[in-house]
Amino acid sequence: MIEVQGITKSFGTTLALDDVSFRIEKGEILGFLGPNGAGKSTTMKIITTFIAPDAGTVKVDGIDVLEQPLAVRGRIGYLPENVPLYPDMNVQEYLTFVGRARGLDGARLKQRLDWCVEACGLVTEFKKPIGDLSKGFKQRTGLAQALIHDPDILILDEPTSGLDPLQILGIRDLIKSLAGHKTIIFSTHILQEVGPVTDRVAIINEGRIIADGHIDKLAREAMRSDRVILAVRNAPGGVEEALRGLDEVTEVKALTVRDLDANRGSRFEVRGPFDRDLIGALDRLCKQHGWELTELREAVFSLEDTFIELTRRSLRGNHDRARGVA
Amino acid sequence: MRNIMTVFKREFSAYFNSPIAYIFIIAFLVLNSGLFMTGFFLNETADLRAFFGNLPFFLIFFIPAVSMRLWAEDKRTGTFELLMTLPMKARDVMLGKYLAALTFYLIALAGTLPLVVMVAALGNPDMGAIWSGYIGSVLLGGLYLGIGTFTSGLTRDQISAVILGIMACFLVFILGVGGVAATIDGWLPGLGSFLQNYVGLSGHYDTMLKGVISLGDLAYFLGLTGLFLTLNTLWLEGRKY
Repeated sequence: MIEVQGITKSFGTTLALDDVSFRIEKGEILGFLGPNGAGKSTTMKIITTFIAPDAGTVKVDGIDVLEQPLAVRGRIGYLPENVPLYPDMNVQEYLTFVGRARGLDGARLKQRLDWCVEACGLVTEFKKPIGDLSKGFKQRTGLAQALIHDPDILILDEPTSGLDPLQILGIRDLIKSLAGHKTIIFSTHILQEVGPVTDRVAIINEGRIIADGHIDKLAREAMRSDRVILAVRNAPGGVEEALRGLDEVTEVKALTVRDLDANRGSRFEVRGPFDRDLIGALDRLCKQHGWELTELREAVFSLEDTFIELTRRSLRGNHDRARGVA
Repeated sequence: MRNIMTVFKREFSAYFNSPIAYIFIIAFLVLNSGLFMTGFFLNETADLRAFFGNLPFFLIFFIPAVSMRLWAEDKRTGTFELLMTLPMKARDVMLGKYLAALTFYLIALAGTLPLVVMVAALGNPDMGAIWSGYIGSVLLGGLYLGIGTFTSGLTRDQISAVILGIMACFLVFILGVGGVAATIDGWLPGLGSFLQNYVGLSGHYDTMLKGVISLGDLAYFLGLTGLFLTLNTLWLEGRKY
């Protein structure tokens, strides 16, 4: 459906994208993650034909974005990061303008208007000037604009930025309700937003794709280790040293104890390689010392950990390369 | 054509959705008619030559102020990205905007028609010269608007757009002035008169005030306007690289 092959783009002396490739099949949703300035928006602008890459190709439905930009634009609904609104128009006028510009007319336009206004929760704001709308409603108007022609492909650049939690939930539900019918790329720098919507993630940092795939797979690859949370009571001290003494353990971190958990004793985060029985070893250690075990569980890697680990690693990679050149 | 109309409607309503349109039109009429009327009764001739004579200089400031928002505003608010990702040719978007600004100017110009009624009531004016003067004014405004549309595309700041537009319009105006052409001829023989004929405005405009509409003058106005509009489109298409 969308095939991005080796695109590179620089602005002046800044390399914004460096050999970026990925593909999305029909009906897939891709969460496009990365810190601010990583190249998310640039990639989206290239797919939507707003700017052209210096090198590489992008094909949408098999159509090259440079050869037939108008055909590509017709298939895509695009919400840019900077929501493109005319403050002097009201919501109805604005959506009618975009609808007409996208070739809708008469009954079909009316039907799509009604659908978008309903789906994006704009019924009460339909006749209000866009300049008077709150940030959340402006964002929704932008989203309605991207949906007006019922496109097969949606490119949403930070669709939830600046919204309150309830509004984020609304947008998230809307994206989820479109899943399956439409191919969607949405970008965000907030990790928690990806999980509830999709499992497929691409992480971009400093213009390079550093990870692409299923969230869980990425987490395991990134961490290369198991992580266990352990809490013990009635331990006189020296627990941390004893933990470090185990063969199965590679890293121990003492966690701060919150008031709520005070009666659980001291807590630790322990890491060890995938192929060793970390939990069994910790259990034996506690029995051996007579510590009372109050918590022992495997901690799931959050997307956040993965993200931080991967971006850090790619930074390190860059420094290594830079040193190699010097 | 449909696309041009869609953009035209949006841009045209944008002028009248804000008070700026009314302020512009009132300022245009008050300044122009005021300037004309101060000399009118001293001249004791029932014609509009003084009015048309003032226009090329007056419009240098008025037209870029009308066209400054055409692209600069879209770039500032982000709607430029919307327009350039709609399934429309850049040329169609540009023409929609240009025609909206031109229509706005025609409305302002139509506000001066009572002057025609007035001179016709007071004397026996040469109506042919008046109508050809109006045709000249439309062509003149169209040319300045082409220049202004182009300069608006060069920047995201409306103030820069209007200043660039004024300078560019002024250049086209001043190159047509005899003294300037003679001076340039003094530096590089032939260049001044070449610029005066093919870029300069006055010669082509002044013949229209006399009631003469020649093919050459029409070609000058339409050609130069088309050149700036083409440059604008090329810039829009080349911008993404």
